[in-house]
Amino acid sequence: MISAPDVVAFTREEELQDELYREPPLPEEYSVPLFPFAGHGANPWAKVANSKFSRDFILISEFSEQVGPQPLLTIPDDARVSGTFDLNYFSLRIMSVDYQASFVGHPPGSAYPKLNFVEDSKVVLGDSKEGAFAYVHHLTLYDLEARGFVRPFCMAYISADEHKIMQQFQELSAEFSKASECLKTGNRKAFANELEKKLRDLDYTRTVLHNETELQKKANDKGYYTTQAIEKANELASVEKSIIEHQDLLKQIRSYPYRKLKESDFHPYEPECALLDEANAGCERDPTTSDPAETPLYTHVPSYTPKLIKAKSAKCFDKKLKTLEELCDVYFFTQTLDQLHQIERTFRGDVCYLLTEQISRALLKQQTITNFLFEDVSCLDEKPPEKQGRGCQGHSHDARDGKCSEEFLAPTVVISLGSYKSSVECVPIKMEQDIEDTQEPQMSESVTFEHQENLDYLDADLKGSISSGESIEVLGTEKSASGLPKSESQASLPVSPSPQVGRSKVGSRRTVSEDSIEVLSTCPSESLIPEDFKASYPSAINEEPYVGDEEGGLRFTPRLNLDDADEQEDVSNQENLVQVDSACCIGKESPNFLEPELGHKPCDEDGVVRIPPQPYRASEPGLHGTFGSFPSHDGIAGGLLPYELDSRYLGGSREVSKSSLDECSDSTSYMSSAASTCSDRTPSPAHPACHGADRHKKKAGQNALRFIRQYPFAHPAIYSLLSGRTLIVLGEEEAIVKKLVTALSIFVPNCGLYGKPVKHWLTSPLHVVDFQKWKLIGLQRTVSPAGVNVLHTLSRYSRYISILDADSKTLRCPLYKGSVVSRLADHRTQIKRGSTYYMHVQSILTQLCSKAFLFTFCHHLHLPISEREPEESVVSRRMNFLKLQLGLVNEDVKIVQYLAELLKLQYLQEPGQGVSPLLRFDYVPSFLYKI
Amino acid sequence: MSALCPPPSPAVAKTEISLNGESPLLAATFAYWDNILGPRVRHIWAPKTEQVLLSDGEITFLANHTLNGEILRNAESGAIDVKFFVLAEKRVIIVSLIFDGNWNGDRSTYGLSIILPQSELGFYLPLHRVCVDRLTHIIRKGRIWMHKERQEHFQKIVLEGTERMEDQGQSIIPMLTGEVIPVMELLSSMKSHSVPEEIDISDTVLNDDDIGDSCHEGFLLNAISSHLQTCGCSVVVGSSAEKVNKIVRTLCLFLTPSERKCSRLCRNESSFKYESGLFVQGLLKDATGSFVLPFRQVMYAPYPTTHIDVDVNTVKQMPPCHEHIYNQRRYMRSELTAFWRANSDEEMSQDYIIHTDESFTPDLNVFQDILHRDTLVKAFLDQIFHLKPGLSLRSTFLAQFLLVLHRKALTLIKYIEDDTQRGKKPFRSLRSLKVDLDLTAEGDLNIIMALAEKIKPGLHSFIFGRPFYTSVQERDMLMTF
Repeated sequence: MISAPDVVAFTREEELQDELYREPPLPEEYSVPLFPFAGHGANPWAKVANSKFSRDFILISEFSEQVGPQPLLTIPDDARVSGTFDLNYFSLRIMSVDYQASFVGHPPGSAYPKLNFVEDSKVVLGDSKEGAFAYVHHLTLYDLEARGFVRPFCMAYISADEHKIMQQFQELSAEFSKASECLKTGNRKAFANELEKKLRDLDYTRTVLHNETELQKKANDKGYYTTQAIEKANELASVEKSIIEHQDLLKQIRSYPYRKLKESDFHPYEPECALLDEANAGCERDPTTSDPAETPLYTHVPSYTPKLIKAKSAKCFDKKLKTLEELCDVYFFTQTLDQLHQIERTFRGDVCYLLTEQISRALLKQQTITNFLFEDVSCLDEKPPEKQGRGCQGHSHDARDGKCSEEFLAPTVVISLGSYKSSVECVPIKMEQDIEDTQEPQMSESVTFEHQENLDYLDADLKGSISSGESIEVLGTEKSASGLPKSESQASLPVSPSPQVGRSKVGSRRTVSEDSIEVLSTCPSESLIPEDFKASYPSAINEEPYVGDEEGGLRFTPRLNLDDADEQEDVSNQENLVQVDSACCIGKESPNFLEPELGHKPCDEDGVVRIPPQPYRASEPGLHGTFGSFPSHDGIAGGLLPYELDSRYLGGSREVSKSSLDECSDSTSYMSSAASTCSDRTPSPAHPACHGADRHKKKAGQNALRFIRQYPFAHPAIYSLLSGRTLIVLGEEEAIVKKLVTALSIFVPNCGLYGKPVKHWLTSPLHVVDFQKWKLIGLQRTVSPAGVNVLHTLSRYSRYISILDADSKTLRCPLYKGSVVSRLADHRTQIKRGSTYYMHVQSILTQLCSKAFLFTFCHHLHLPISEREPEESVVSRRMNFLKLQLGLVNEDVKIVQYLAELLKLQYLQEPGQGVSPLLRFDYVPSFLYKI
Repeated sequence: MSALCPPPSPAVAKTEISLNGESPLLAATFAYWDNILGPRVRHIWAPKTEQVLLSDGEITFLANHTLNGEILRNAESGAIDVKFFVLAEKRVIIVSLIFDGNWNGDRSTYGLSIILPQSELGFYLPLHRVCVDRLTHIIRKGRIWMHKERQEHFQKIVLEGTERMEDQGQSIIPMLTGEVIPVMELLSSMKSHSVPEEIDISDTVLNDDDIGDSCHEGFLLNAISSHLQTCGCSVVVGSSAEKVNKIVRTLCLFLTPSERKCSRLCRNESSFKYESGLFVQGLLKDATGSFVLPFRQVMYAPYPTTHIDVDVNTVKQMPPCHEHIYNQRRYMRSELTAFWRANSDEEMSQDYIIHTDESFTPDLNVFQDILHRDTLVKAFLDQIFHLKPGLSLRSTFLAQFLLVLHRKALTLIKYIEDDTQRGKKPFRSLRSLKVDLDLTAEGDLNIIMALAEKIKPGLHSFIFGRPFYTSVQERDMLMTF
């Protein structure tokens, strides 16, 4: 057995030296280095740094029958990449492997030359002295002029990192096989074309020779054949033999795909682009539907004029061999190069990023339920590089189809109807179409911010704004009907059934007219408090101890139309669509259970929200619900004056630079460290779609890093975003505002599948619908009359939103005293690069997601232990769990609660649909922070 | 295929090896570059099977193939290069270790190769490093042996005036046989008992209704924490195969699928041998209730190992990576030096060297108690049992946990990369790193560092500066900055 002795410091330096001197002189070449990673200049990055080429590249080489091994081209085609690396020598090395063991050409005993369809070989080898290692993919192309009709080529992925090649072997093999298959397909087509041309030439030559022979025969009256006639006859025979041979070759090349298809492991090249150009149109037809004997695989070359050829081909060194491009059909050659460029982009850079990306991708696929929150799901949707058994993605297809596919799905908890009542309700408000119409022209047309990729989801926002404007969901507030006649423009938009259970009941009491939003956006707020709201929540509107804000809050004035049967019908129809019960995440049946977390607020002691818990009663008509999605926190320092907070933060603000964001260039690190000079070798993502996203992340990380260093009130700002409170970044200069928005965008949880709810720049006045769509908005401050309107609307909603003033460098938002954001955004952090900071943020956010997941799906938390257990007890248990089990303090609880609510909604959505945007109003006092 | 192969040389010797189970290995060969004849095969090892999968002619052809192009060999002194072939035409994969050595009075190039069917590519790749590491070491020893033979041979020629070229170098074959057979046995055992790529969480401790149902809470925490701190490399021993395998599967949940395929379950009837280089392996105790781990092989594992005894619920761990690598290298050098100094066949045997050379076995306490507690695994275990078992909730939660670990590891690498300008400057801000990346608990740092070491080899040695410091000394020094 292994014993467990105490720890002993096992060696000392002098002891080591003595020992080394005592050792007999073992030649170094037979020994092993004592410090494999700590020699002079050695470090984990040294191998790559010391290589003769600047980064990985692809080399295509040929074993030419005329000049021997020679490099043909490199990808990327930049001499700086291969540097001083000797491509000729390396081509010689990689092509010297005699992989092609099979016979090619004219086998003994065979009447005609046979094409041997040689399988590709894959070799990993290296040159340890040069520090170059390569994955080499050998393939054979056909050339009518070549010896044995074959031209050996290889494509090599060359890297300084030996382990990278082996670790990525299967991925490299799969990707190069695709490129090879593409090239060979194009080559077969070109070869067939060449054969056809040759056949036509031969046919033409035969005709000419035949005519000449006939003429000679007629002219011959001597009764014997002249030498010239015999030569002609021999030549004719030779041509005829050649025709037969070439016909046989053509038959062989045409029959290749059919023969190969019989082999189970053959995957013919299928261009990913669905539309092939004309060159491809006649290339290869569906072999499964046609008989190869009847249908020629390769069509005839249309406009070709045959010419007279010599029966004997030119001698080896007299002829000029075709280039690689000439050997292959143009379309396929281009496709191959594209594929090789893609391979180069995919595998470039440090292998640790590649490995982690592969592992992360596989892990993310196992947690689809939480991915929407902070992950870039668009990258996950992309088809990953071919994986056959390596890394976390190395599940075999069978395995994926089988058991493991179960795990990739969202948690499959049995759902029972009636066991859960979501507190998310809709307040459907008819939006005027021209709201969007007037907004759009005001959107800055010259949106030139750095992240073009954002345009996509901005577009999506704009497109979706009509439908999203139709119905505003208020999280945890009232229970109202969502029945709303669809406009024509909405007809084609998907209707996402919401999981409200009590809608019909509410809808029967109160429906919302089409006019409500119009009133909302124009009428003075005081006069617009709806009767329903006044009756139900007198304190909600009037009693908020908001400091320094004279404006009222959001005023709803729905004209209730109780007789709107159509709307009710619509509501009930929507209900019918809801196939799942919202309690699914609980995993326990409890028909009478009402999720009390959101709909039933315990009375808040600080008087911010005074809405008593409203137990759900299925038969109880009336409007229920509260404003404020979560119980107001006890820890809010209601009496804390703004200057007290300011003084707390002002001390910190002295440490930071007061320079504005635009004073710092994006391309340099904020820290004046020499580290900024080192290149970022983070590899490009494997997928083009992710490439832009990755750049965006990097830029966002840089901006975020600057933000947390420059703004001492970064924590409450980030807290606002993480807890679902809309943050407005207000400023005159578009660039500054956009940078701030970009910086803060990494902290915004996604609400759907269409990207972050972020609006980088808005010039028009805010509307309620904006809060539904966007959680982070860059808003223009102007001195024009229109600008006054903007500020007016802003002040109207100011108690429900957080406002970061980029010009005066102030922040108005609720207080934050938790610890999560401190770990997320420590202004003293020594992290030097934006991309590193982004990674750090990602890992902390993943931890948060994990907590939210646990909280959401923890089976004993959300249900009463017994039927008689009061709801207060359940709420208390839940709070204890958050604080004790998850270790959350103060406002961190709200963050996890908000994320958990989003998770619930996401879980209840139809597959493929995002979480419906929520309109949240949180009656929490705000404080003013200044630098 | 065989019709096109050249006829085998009658001089090729062959050793047939009887294995208990199925052998994925078709053959192993030892070839050399003859200055007159080109590549030639010296010896073939093949499993003894009723059905001949590969004829000697084919094996010879393939072995010759591995040395093609090696006339251009341009290697560093003493380098042992690895070549890897996937020959679809022959439906085989070949792994060749190419090296230079002195034999028969000449410096020449040699290749030790193993040949597998192409269908075993997915099976073999996760084990590539294990096989290569082990064959590399035996080549290092064999090369010394070849060199010494040459010296002895030269002395004999001088003394006797005779030359027996054909006798030369034969004795390297038994030495190679001594490692080729265990590699064959390893592959055979992996074929039957490797951990599947996908593990059903219901087969693990994490499916228990509550923590502590299957094993003591503290033991589970220690086991997983130490397992992660030692780069996912663990040995689980016990008297019950079922109990051992449950822990093996549990630990494998924290590995990547590829690493799982490089892990082995415990055999019911009798224990396997310990195999250096596997990530997790279950081993059965003998009738006396003990299992003796071979010190040399434990030392030669690429990562430090956690030793878990499920009978007595003990968890011990080896020192961190940089210390382990340093100890390993010292041990290897000692072994090679002792080999170099040995004068006879008897002295060349492993046991002889270990028993006679006092400096050979360093005075090391290989397995230690777990010194550093972590918060990451503790919180994970505290939380996961709140989720209902039997659903995929725990799998999702586990995936989130692993994602956090991997992201932290990558962030750590990037942090160090930025701070040191990709290794150009020494790393001096461990304290800042711990605070910035929320790794203030020593155990947390160890776990993330271990994970980072796997994807960025050499990180420990680089960060902790002088590799021969113990971790305790190192920490003291670094924390002074």
